[in-house]
Amino acid sequence: MNSNYNMFHVEVLPPRQDAEDLEVRLDRFATRYKRVLDAGYCACITDNAMGNMSFQGTEIIEEYDLPVKPDNVMIHLNTFHSKKDLDNILNTCIVQGIKYLLIVSGDGNVRFPKLRPSDLDIQGVSSVTAVELLQYINREYAGAFILGVAFNPYEPEEEEVEKMTRKIDAGAEFVITQPLIDKNPVVDRLIINIDIPVMVEAWMSKKLHLLSDCVGYEIPEDTEYDPMGTLANLQSEYPSGGVYLAMMNYKRQFNLLADLSFIGGRQTVR
Amino acid sequence: MKIVVCVKQVPATTEVSIDPETKRLIREGVSIEMNPFDTYALEQGILLREKHGGEVIVLSMGPARAELTIRESIACGADRGVLLNGRPLGGSDTYATSYILSQGIKKIGDVDLVICGKQAVDGDTAQVGPGMAAHLGWPQVTYVSRFVESGPLELKLERMHENGSDISLVKLPAVLTVLKDVNIPRIPTLKGRLNSRKVDITIWDEKDLETDPEKIGLGGSPTRVVSTRKPDARDKHTIVLNGSASNSARELVQILKSRIEL
Repeated sequence: MNSNYNMFHVEVLPPRQDAEDLEVRLDRFATRYKRVLDAGYCACITDNAMGNMSFQGTEIIEEYDLPVKPDNVMIHLNTFHSKKDLDNILNTCIVQGIKYLLIVSGDGNVRFPKLRPSDLDIQGVSSVTAVELLQYINREYAGAFILGVAFNPYEPEEEEVEKMTRKIDAGAEFVITQPLIDKNPVVDRLIINIDIPVMVEAWMSKKLHLLSDCVGYEIPEDTEYDPMGTLANLQSEYPSGGVYLAMMNYKRQFNLLADLSFIGGRQTVR
Repeated sequence: MKIVVCVKQVPATTEVSIDPETKRLIREGVSIEMNPFDTYALEQGILLREKHGGEVIVLSMGPARAELTIRESIACGADRGVLLNGRPLGGSDTYATSYILSQGIKKIGDVDLVICGKQAVDGDTAQVGPGMAAHLGWPQVTYVSRFVESGPLELKLERMHENGSDISLVKLPAVLTVLKDVNIPRIPTLKGRLNSRKVDITIWDEKDLETDPEKIGLGGSPTRVVSTRKPDARDKHTIVLNGSASNSARELVQILKSRIEL
């Protein structure tokens, strides 16, 4: 199994375009990114997460001359780009040595362009999803990247599994789930039924209610939640793959990660 | 080609309130953004400059914070910006605003082309672009959906209207208002954003513009808003469809069909 899959994948959010204290936030991004790499984890840089217009990871890496370790950097890439920007991002990734991409449909915004099937020279579909983006990258940038996709166990299973089949057919080589807060039977069945690695996502914010939209039911705002306990539990339940850490707290939680580590695809608690 | 792109800072929300006294939009405390239609105007200006050379100058009228929108335009690729700002300019209606902007265009000098978004999403009047053309005495083409050909002296444009579209030829200088179909606006880059923070923005007030005091501000605005009201809230209710996905989809189609028939 590829070494990238058996490590913590730590989400790093680039600053938003409208940030007033932009330089401060860029410095913070650079510091967090370097901490993740120095710790031997994989820095996963989001692409306009939640539809918020943000800077691209590739341009911050370039501007700040940040190091890239090919096994320790992953870029999210969604369908809300112009064709020119998409190719620019992909070519910059190649130049910078970034090989892991997480391909997602993404969240739109009135300011974002949306890729059209004609942009990608793809026929027979009315819109571009992660599947078409995978097809395009595998066709035009064959061999340049290792492409992953998302899996949502909170959507109807039949449709999600069918989508996953199309994603794998289009070239997906690994999967990252939506945030889990416990062992999930839909994910368990996915792991059994597909041949590519599945990484589970752990929700590291104490504000569990922010997941309400994702899971499709209302989580009360005052719900008690222990992110580190959940992480340890997920590692124990899913020992064969890495864990993606969303909404990580870099002050309190990051240093605690050293106590939970992966060795040879097996989780150990030191 | 010397191109002026007019941009407006607007509330970044549909939840705007109206001051009951002045009948004007309350802009304080509301998050702001560039008028979405203006992003297409800006992109078109940049595309024309990339083709013909020259410069793109962003022009805006508004409070000091409108400078942020000008800087955003520069981050996207505009060369420089001019903000028309002064207390006597406040409260201008579309007639006065288009007069003030036209004075700005005259002061910039030797402008070949003015491009605006089709309208601002806060006022929704679509009057300022045509108003500027009238004040300048220039030809105008509104609702431009496509640039068929562009040369330094003349443009061939497709413009949309209720019954379809026309192809129009317009000699420069001219004023255009553009639709969303015209291009795909670029997103500011980090490099552009950082550079835009260092650029000096030119600020002109009513004296710099040599405006006629009778034609600016509330006093120079022939329009009077005598009353405003919020539209009635739409009747909303939720129907939960239980059952399999295919049955629910079938049921939803039936519901939608019955609504259309009503």
